[in-house]
Amino acid sequence: MTKNILCIAIFALCSITSIAQSKKETEKQEQVKNLVWNENDPYRNVMEISENWKNESAVFLVKTVKYIYNRPGNSIEYTKIERERIKLLDQAAVTEYSEFAYTEGKVFYREMSRVTNTFHLGVKVIKPDGEEIEIDVNQESVTTNNEKKIAIPSLEKGDIIDYYFYTNTIVGENDLYQYEPVENTIGDNYPIAKFEFLLETEDDFFINFSTYNGAPKLQQIVEPTKKDKKRVYSFTAENVERNDFPRWFFPLVELPSYKFQVLFARSGKYEKKAYAFIPEDVNTVKTNVSKEEIFNLYEDKFRPYGELGDVERFLKNKNFATNEEKVKEVFYYIRHAYYTNYVEAFVMDEANIMYPFMLYGKNPIIFNNEVDFVRFFTAFLKDNKIDYEIIVGTQRYNGDIKDLLLESNINFILKVNTEKPVYIEFFDAYATPNQLSPLLENTNAYTLKVVDRKHIENIETVKLPTTTYKENNSTEKTELTFAPDFSGIDINRSFEYNGQTKIDEQKSILMYYDYVYEDHAKYETEPILDRVKNKRDQEKYKNEYAALLKKLKNNQQEKIKERTAGEYNLKIDNYSFKIIKNGRFGKEDSFEYTENFTIGNDLIKTAGKNYILDIGKLLVSQVDLSNKEKNRTNNIYMSYPRSFNYQIVVNIPDGYSVSGLENLAGNVENETGGFKSSAALDGNRLVVKIQKFYKNNYEPNAKWPQMVAFLEAASQFTQAKILLKKV
Amino acid sequence: MRKILCLLLFATALCVAQKNSDPTPEEISEAKILKLQYPNDDLVLMKSKDFVTFGFNDKDQQVSVQRQISEEMMNVSSRTDIQKHIFYDGQSEIVNFGLKYRNNKSAFFKIKDEAFTIEEFFYNDARVKYASVDFPVQGYKYFFEATKNIFDIKYFTSVYFTDSYPILNREITLVVPKWLNLEIKEMNFDGYEISKTTNFDDKQNADIITYTVSGLDAVYKEEQSPGPSYLYPHLLILAKSYTHDGKSFTLFNETKDLYSWYKSLIDDMNDDPSVLKAKVEELTANAQNEEEKIRNIYYWIQDNIRYIAFEDGLAGFKPDECQNVYKKRYGDCKGMANLTKQMLIEAGFDARLTWLGTKRIAYDYSTPSLSVDNHMICTVFYNGKKIFLDGTEKFNPFGEYAERIQGKQVMIENGDSFILETVPVVAPETNRETHVFNAKINNNALEGNVSLTYSGESRATFLYVFNNLRTEMKNEALEYYLKRADRNMMVENIKTSNLENRDDQLSINFSLKQDNAVSSFDDEIYINLDHYQEYGKWIFNERNTDYEFPHKEFLSSEINLELPEGYKVSELPQGIDVNNKNYKIFIDFELKDNMLHYRKEFVMKQAVVKKSNFKEWNETIQSLQSIYNQQIILVKED
Repeated sequence: MTKNILCIAIFALCSITSIAQSKKETEKQEQVKNLVWNENDPYRNVMEISENWKNESAVFLVKTVKYIYNRPGNSIEYTKIERERIKLLDQAAVTEYSEFAYTEGKVFYREMSRVTNTFHLGVKVIKPDGEEIEIDVNQESVTTNNEKKIAIPSLEKGDIIDYYFYTNTIVGENDLYQYEPVENTIGDNYPIAKFEFLLETEDDFFINFSTYNGAPKLQQIVEPTKKDKKRVYSFTAENVERNDFPRWFFPLVELPSYKFQVLFARSGKYEKKAYAFIPEDVNTVKTNVSKEEIFNLYEDKFRPYGELGDVERFLKNKNFATNEEKVKEVFYYIRHAYYTNYVEAFVMDEANIMYPFMLYGKNPIIFNNEVDFVRFFTAFLKDNKIDYEIIVGTQRYNGDIKDLLLESNINFILKVNTEKPVYIEFFDAYATPNQLSPLLENTNAYTLKVVDRKHIENIETVKLPTTTYKENNSTEKTELTFAPDFSGIDINRSFEYNGQTKIDEQKSILMYYDYVYEDHAKYETEPILDRVKNKRDQEKYKNEYAALLKKLKNNQQEKIKERTAGEYNLKIDNYSFKIIKNGRFGKEDSFEYTENFTIGNDLIKTAGKNYILDIGKLLVSQVDLSNKEKNRTNNIYMSYPRSFNYQIVVNIPDGYSVSGLENLAGNVENETGGFKSSAALDGNRLVVKIQKFYKNNYEPNAKWPQMVAFLEAASQFTQAKILLKKV
Repeated sequence: MRKILCLLLFATALCVAQKNSDPTPEEISEAKILKLQYPNDDLVLMKSKDFVTFGFNDKDQQVSVQRQISEEMMNVSSRTDIQKHIFYDGQSEIVNFGLKYRNNKSAFFKIKDEAFTIEEFFYNDARVKYASVDFPVQGYKYFFEATKNIFDIKYFTSVYFTDSYPILNREITLVVPKWLNLEIKEMNFDGYEISKTTNFDDKQNADIITYTVSGLDAVYKEEQSPGPSYLYPHLLILAKSYTHDGKSFTLFNETKDLYSWYKSLIDDMNDDPSVLKAKVEELTANAQNEEEKIRNIYYWIQDNIRYIAFEDGLAGFKPDECQNVYKKRYGDCKGMANLTKQMLIEAGFDARLTWLGTKRIAYDYSTPSLSVDNHMICTVFYNGKKIFLDGTEKFNPFGEYAERIQGKQVMIENGDSFILETVPVVAPETNRETHVFNAKINNNALEGNVSLTYSGESRATFLYVFNNLRTEMKNEALEYYLKRADRNMMVENIKTSNLENRDDQLSINFSLKQDNAVSSFDDEIYINLDHYQEYGKWIFNERNTDYEFPHKEFLSSEINLELPEGYKVSELPQGIDVNNKNYKIFIDFELKDNMLHYRKEFVMKQAVVKKSNFKEWNETIQSLQSIYNQQIILVKED
């Protein structure tokens, strides 16, 4: 009996708490709603769109984005309210806004601080006659696993949907906190009649904010007073056209956009500790990070630091002709010792074959970020009395370094001042010295000058080196042999990638086992199975690992086969491939592989006793420009200058001659690039040589017609045919 | 530099490597042989048993079902990683989900339990229990066990013999107590050696019925296949009645019992058609005749009610009330059928709810079971005829029926009784699509006017896709479609009929320039006449199931080429004329004056290519490919 009463009491208590909780939540929801949809909302009756947008799918009557940063008690609070009022003009738009999915708020702990996330969604449907239907989100939504979903009722073509997302995060007890940076274009999927941005802060929140590419400037609309420390900043835009993202385009460089980041530092003490680009005082909005500020921030950040025991052992008894060679060899050594050496272990662990990490000693060195690596490598340089400087750059899609605003847009490059300078940027399994990220090439950057190989004492502007289209070359040879009855073609292809072209290819083709064993042999380290001393265990792991490798290799082959089939858009059979060279040691070291497969008669047409070969179709992956693309109005932003050399060899079957060689000759070259092709007979082989090249990584729109000229020439080549004529 | 102390992680090492269960050399050889037999499968179920018992739940007064599953799984590939899973829903539960090594020691895998989302449903009560299981080497085995409890026997409708893996030995045992009247229908047993034994067990006072079969292929993962109820052997379980405490209770003894249950759900609804009044008046006010009133209501539902389905418990069987669907502007098939019914009643028609199984389901209402139907439409009694209205269809004209419901038996509500009818089957001509290209040679191009027409389901498909495109992209998309996304095709002067009209024939006219279709070599002209090459790639080589088309396709195409002066055709390809029960493929070349007429007709009469026809079909397609592959050669006239 007692037990039952107790149960009831607990049940009652729980119910009261949950009712109270839900009442509180409902009140909060009402409060949030009133923040957006209230009597003062200037957009509450806006219904009409301008005539020129009648043929759009939908139009934002208004889009407002509001960020609020404040500090209740000891906590700090972040709020984002995004409100969109959209007129849905067609079925596609209705479908787009027919369902919403979101994750509800939760409470969790991050670095000992309690973090409370709250999320609210509010939705109204407004009928063309002005009738407003407010959707009861609590009632209408359903929960699937951790996600909430709602199907928006009453929604039809011609309606307006007016909704907001409210996101709130309260972090307890914090003296220093940097929020994630925000980078956005003003434009969206649909045109926007009115865009409004608001940023509200108070004391101790430091703001970096700027707008770009013709976007309006941020204005302070509320000044703090003695009583109320609130500051409000805003900008608005009107009649913003729909975003369009063409090929070869960097939106943040061309489209009106804004970037910002907010940092909270409770007092002057924490301001200094922030190690971030922040304005001098809380009343100023920082719009730009200067060279001097970069110097001041990084002056102390890159003190050389690292345990060099392994490197010293590696260098012992080795002689290098130059420091350049030494630097490169040490880089490769580190790449193995602190990276590729462990790859097998992670694979073994992931596949649940064994727990491998105890086989590698107690304190393996792992680099957690770019700065860790730079500090380690500079420790080696310092120890070996080799001069260096540290370059601070930014990728091209962020804009020029002089417009830098966000630390997250920075990349570090180590420039080692050996006989010929050595640039080191990446640290991964394929990274090699002097291979800069393509998007940093030829950009302006700052270099932090280091004296005594230790102290950063100065900063200067530099231009990062660039590569040429000739260096970034890929060569592709395709040799065709017909089946005796012309029912199919056997194709051998070989590839050689150089310069920047190899980076993506290596990542897409190679698997770890294609290079890890090469590294183990080179640096005399033990592959994982050799580290297992117990014979029985070793045998077991060996079998399981062999099975895993077989599966991985099958998957790799299938993936590459599919990729090739996709290039030709044909079914391919009897596929095999072979890696010839990994290209992991030096910028000049090429990545090479070959593949062999057969296709059916898709490219062969019968013409009486003769055959027509769609030879142009063997030049795969060409750009087909639509009419819209041909009339492009944006500038052209590509990754890097590049050239492609193709060779197509057709083994002419006995008893046949070839006509139509003249269809294979082409020659377009201008200052943006070119496409050249020629064909000649070499005994019973038809050899077609093709060159295609993009001379620059950027072209102004005025030069687009020149690019179109050679792109069209290449595209036209894909239509070329030759006749195999029965002799 | 931060150092990671791996020591901290060592503690977990001890829990992982408990796998003293490697395959024996015999098992490895067995796996290798099985891999030869099943080259496309990674796992084989050496044994798979279902042991089904029935009980009575006094609390709910329901007959319950317990299905115990046990499997012996062997990896026949090098290494295999799977998610061993089992589905359940609001009417069932999974207990005892677990795996063991070959030495019978428990294998610890983290068992997850999640809502299972099905694309078709916005929300449903389906759940999945699963574990990620790795088979590290060839020949590796696990024993899997799970028990699924189904709370109410009416939801236990079938047991399939097949699985997603091949099965060497399959056994299904049902212990049917004498108090339960159960009919077991043996479906699709032809072609399988399934043996059955029945023994009476005194102790349990039950028949123990055991089916065994060996050597089952994995279920086929092929697109456009018939539904599983046509393909795989299975037991259809018909729970007819039971006796409890001396009293007899009917379950689904005959179709009327199934109807009665459906009817009880409908009687439970609280429709409020007054909400529809104004809309119905608006839709019917200007109608010229009664048929137009039906049409206007039916089309309004198609265009304005979005298909959003909630399959949650009884909501899977009971329609949402008309006022809710109307206000929400969305619903599932039942909600739309009921809204259609209520709006038509409001407009003065006799309209009824109608249950059916779509083409995917092999059964009809001679089988009283919940597995018979999966769809609901509305039947309107008009002019002495019964006309079926399916609100889930888009751009479906009044009186035309989608392939998926044609020929299917329907159960129409009729007070306490019901009416069985069959949805009419339409002739393939209804879906006729025609292409005419009147072409001339202009340098390396074919140039001329094209006219296209679409009817029936070819029109509905076109309209649906087109009207769901973003407005600003519609023109571009239409051009792209007419060009078949080919850089050689230039399309201009596009003129269309009203692309929102679902009743009249749809037509599109445009001028086409097809570059690179003509090549000249050594005074001869080679013409690649047919860019479209319909059905040219449709060879069924490794297919195990019939191929079902979305509808009975009927395509008639004509290319009329004006020959340039001074040239003649050196040789014309042979045509094709295959006309059988299932399909017609006709190709013809005719020279008349200076015109080459190239005609094609493809008619998929039953919307299917039967597996038994594959050989003949493939031969026809090979002839077709050979025609498509041939260039028309023009030589100079002597």
